[in-house]
Amino acid sequence: MPEPLLATQKLSNHFGMVCTARDLDLRFEPGVLTSIIGPNGAGKSTLINLLTGHLPVQTGKIRFRGRDITRLPIHKRVRMGICRSFQVVNVFPELTVAQNVMIPVLARTGRGWNPVRSLTRETAVLRETEAILAMVALLPERDTPATALSHGDLRLLEVGVALAAAPTLLFLDEPTAGMNPVERARLLENIRGLARGGRTTFVVVEHDMDVVFSLSERIIVLHRGEILCDGTPGQVRTDPKVREVYLGEDVSDLFRYEEE
Amino acid sequence: MKAQNRNAGAAAVVLLALCAVPFLSGKFAIYLTMRIMLLGIFAVGYNLLLGQTGLLSFGHGAFYAAGAYGLGLFGAHVSTHPLLGVAVGVATAVFLALLVGYLCVRHTEIYFAMLTLACGMMAFSFFWNAREITGGDDGLIGILRAPVSLFGGIRIPIGKDGQFYFFVLFFFALSVWAAHRIRQSPFGLALAGIRENARRSEFAGVPVRRYRLAVFALSGAFAGLAGSLEALLESNARPFMAHWTHSAEPVLVSLLGGLSSLAGPLVGSAIYIAMREIIQRFTENWMLGFGIVLLVIIMGFRGGVTGTLSALFRKAAAPGEG
Repeated sequence: MPEPLLATQKLSNHFGMVCTARDLDLRFEPGVLTSIIGPNGAGKSTLINLLTGHLPVQTGKIRFRGRDITRLPIHKRVRMGICRSFQVVNVFPELTVAQNVMIPVLARTGRGWNPVRSLTRETAVLRETEAILAMVALLPERDTPATALSHGDLRLLEVGVALAAAPTLLFLDEPTAGMNPVERARLLENIRGLARGGRTTFVVVEHDMDVVFSLSERIIVLHRGEILCDGTPGQVRTDPKVREVYLGEDVSDLFRYEEE
Repeated sequence: MKAQNRNAGAAAVVLLALCAVPFLSGKFAIYLTMRIMLLGIFAVGYNLLLGQTGLLSFGHGAFYAAGAYGLGLFGAHVSTHPLLGVAVGVATAVFLALLVGYLCVRHTEIYFAMLTLACGMMAFSFFWNAREITGGDDGLIGILRAPVSLFGGIRIPIGKDGQFYFFVLFFFALSVWAAHRIRQSPFGLALAGIRENARRSEFAGVPVRRYRLAVFALSGAFAGLAGSLEALLESNARPFMAHWTHSAEPVLVSLLGGLSSLAGPLVGSAIYIAMREIIQRFTENWMLGFGIVLLVIIMGFRGGVTGTLSALFRKAAAPGEG
């Protein structure tokens, strides 16, 4: 078996009496586009928060490319190649779209420490920034402050800022929430293209089952902090436990695919 | 770009006007202009921390005092060369700022502000109590303004206020230029990112604490520069330079002039010093009058004087819109 990109070992997390992650043993292989689904409160966000360093790990271990990162601070994990986007838009509000994307580019290239050189002379950084803006179709808005963007554009920017860190493993927390169908289709096409490019492995948390089943090669179903099912979309669709959990929730969405 | 040219033009006009002050006005105006420039250096550096990075410190008086005492002690024991003295003053301030900053930057907002306040007051009581070194409540007195000797044997006298004025103006212009460059640099953008969203900055790969420490030390350097220049101007270094009431001055001045621009703290410094002089003519309790003016500006002028003025200009330039 080749080295997994990221592996967890007995990862657990409790908020008081509520258990949001229980002895999770997970492996993420390079290049496998994975979705994490589950009902509200299943521990999807907690899992991302633990893996990216947003929440301190209470018990268990996380290894990234063979290195123990359990206690590593966020920015070091990002520099190693683990990044994320946020469910609620979480960008730099008063800065322009271009500046938003430029910050991770500067941090990654180590140019952020220069206190005297004018930003306008950082041509390599500017070029890379434009490439990322073009990728998320925000080039026309480059000089707009983030606060002035529409909701859909903000979501695109959210993903753009995450991509700008050039991660090898990127967690997207509900990337298409609140987008209109056109924007959604465009973003998903982008994610597929980037995933095929092979530089970035995507792990997506989604509520929209259309997105999940059309996008993923592997689906992890979480329920009350535990792995309920982990496999290909076909396996997940036919799993009786998943049906049980989703009964009365996303039933129609989840089982519509069976009929196709 | 048009706006850039306009700003450069305005800076040139102000610089020329400042150069003309010693030739056109009396002793008192020269002295007041120097005080404005000192406070301007202090505040423009401080605003890199407050306006650019979003950190509120109430302890920068300590670094100001470190600059003054650094220069004073170096002058008394080693050399009275003013440039070396200023360099030592700035170095002392940076050293102290790194020490204080290391303790404080792991916290933010009110905790950060209170920690800096506590560290500042510790510095104050050190300067007040360590009589053998600092002269206690008398401070260091009789600091000399020796001529500036440069390589090649050139000696520039700075003993008279009219001469020392240009010494201050040189460092003032240098400070404003440096602050301008920092604001336009990649480092400046990273700081703005930390102000806007510290958590996201971490997820952008920015080591937030280290950047905060760096800008804390940098603003400490500006404070130390202003302090060492004041020591030369007033021929003394006083413990009250480190007092929290003095630490509050750059905060007030930045709020007064506007946090979001380079010019804000400078305009604020001029208003602050001028107002203190004017109100002091009428009443002993000048702080009361100043408090009222500050209240009006904070409640009536969002974004300080410069912010309100530039918004007005923008409106005037684009008639027909809102």
